[in-house]
Amino acid sequence: MSEINDSFVKLISSVWHRFTPSNSDASTLADMLKPMDIAGEEVAENIEFDDEPSDFNAALEELAEKTGGI
Amino acid sequence: MNEIFKLDLCKVADLIKKREVSAIEVTQTAIKRAEGLQPSLNAFIRLDAAEALEAASEIDKKIKRGETVGSLAGVPLAHKDIFYRKGKLTTCGSKIRSQFKSNRTSTSFQRLSNAGAVYLGGLNMSEFAVGPIGNNIHYGDCNNPWNLDHASGGSSSGSGAAVAGRIVYGALGSDTGGSIRIPSAMSGVVGLKPTQNRVSRYGLMPLSFSFDCSGPMARTVRDAARVLDVIAGHDPKDPTSSQRPKDNYEGACDKSIAGLKIGIPKTYFYDEIDTEVGVALDLVQQQYSDLGAEIDFVDVPDHNHMNLIWAAALAAEASTIHRKWLRDRPDEYGPMVKRRIEFGLYQPATRYLEAMTLREKYLREYCKTALANCDVLLTPTLPVTAPAYNDLDVGGGKNMPDLVLKLSRNTRPISYLGLPALSVPCGFSKLGLPIAFQLFGRPFSEAQLCSLGAAYQNITEWHHRVPDTALL
Repeated sequence: MSEINDSFVKLISSVWHRFTPSNSDASTLADMLKPMDIAGEEVAENIEFDDEPSDFNAALEELAEKTGGI
Repeated sequence: MNEIFKLDLCKVADLIKKREVSAIEVTQTAIKRAEGLQPSLNAFIRLDAAEALEAASEIDKKIKRGETVGSLAGVPLAHKDIFYRKGKLTTCGSKIRSQFKSNRTSTSFQRLSNAGAVYLGGLNMSEFAVGPIGNNIHYGDCNNPWNLDHASGGSSSGSGAAVAGRIVYGALGSDTGGSIRIPSAMSGVVGLKPTQNRVSRYGLMPLSFSFDCSGPMARTVRDAARVLDVIAGHDPKDPTSSQRPKDNYEGACDKSIAGLKIGIPKTYFYDEIDTEVGVALDLVQQQYSDLGAEIDFVDVPDHNHMNLIWAAALAAEASTIHRKWLRDRPDEYGPMVKRRIEFGLYQPATRYLEAMTLREKYLREYCKTALANCDVLLTPTLPVTAPAYNDLDVGGGKNMPDLVLKLSRNTRPISYLGLPALSVPCGFSKLGLPIAFQLFGRPFSEAQLCSLGAAYQNITEWHHRVPDTALL
């Protein structure tokens, strides 16, 4: 369940970003944000930060294909 | 040589070097085709014919003098209009940057020029590289060479159309969630998205600091490999570019694939595909087996959450880049593009950081599970063939998010994971629209992907087919 609605979108827009979306825009954006909000909450439940600091770019190098090409 | 436009990049480069055809002749043909096909394909935003002819003339003079020239000498290329050239227009497919001239030249562009490539002009693209369809409200939609009523795929739409239409022999695209692979698949050409950081992003207008990649689109895997050989490698101007030595990608195209292990994901990638796509992919599996590869079915991690948090992170980065324009010049965006970028303005910083923290963990999990016992995974690039423009909601309405999610379903997770991926044509639908498969592997396994892609093209002929619209 997500509490995001067009009023929330309008509030964030006007306070943080200095513009006001139309009602239609705010409604569409709210609909787009809801599944993201729900998924984000579900994912956040399982995140541990004990492995931080970490480095994605270093992980790419570490996990590179072992043969160095064929 | 009347049909020089039908040759592939490597072949035409070899002929130019041998002086069997001149760079001027090849470039004049390309210009003529670009002009002739522009009303139907709309592949170009800008054609720089005079500049191209001058560059081609210089190449011919060098060859005549016996000077050493690069691997792309005299070959006409054109690129998604998002690669900067110092003092020259780069629109990024937008109205906002319609008169923009950068103070720098993209490293990829410079390396191609150093290799002798002839630049024909800036190619059409989705505005600011946002969108998998290939529509553009400012410069007109880019049409699919196989059926002009259908989408060419985005965001590197002109790159796919210009290569498929046999105008240029190769093109650069950029890929943040599928923008090389989707138009390649829809237009029936090869697209190679390198590992994150394999190719410099210096001078590429960013959409996302974390996910942007640039890479080649071409008629064959070998052509794409030759371009990658030129553009890959560390660039001091892009501190995120990898220091890892590059492989010999074109050389890899001649390697045997016997014994390589190809994984077929048991879930997600094949879940929502059209029947025709499924049939084509079944045949690809059989063909790889016949070539000596081992095929196995593998479990893959859950992608649904991965996709959503990728979208949150991408939107957060894109809206950071565009925030000032979104506030001051909102009416200069197309509605769909504006909607997808401004979506990031409402993501909390915590969610962005969660997405970026999880990126490494998901990558490690993928390499420990799905890629642990196989060399690459094989999937459809797209679950469907190119849709008709009339069937699409490109106005940023309520149906737009579902449309985007569907078209980029199989490409987005690979971008989030930063892995290399290759899209290769593997058939046509009953409507005559291309079908393609995607191979992806561990970080920096581009050479392996090239071996596999080239082996497939050695026994198939899809890449030799020319769309009727391209026959001027």
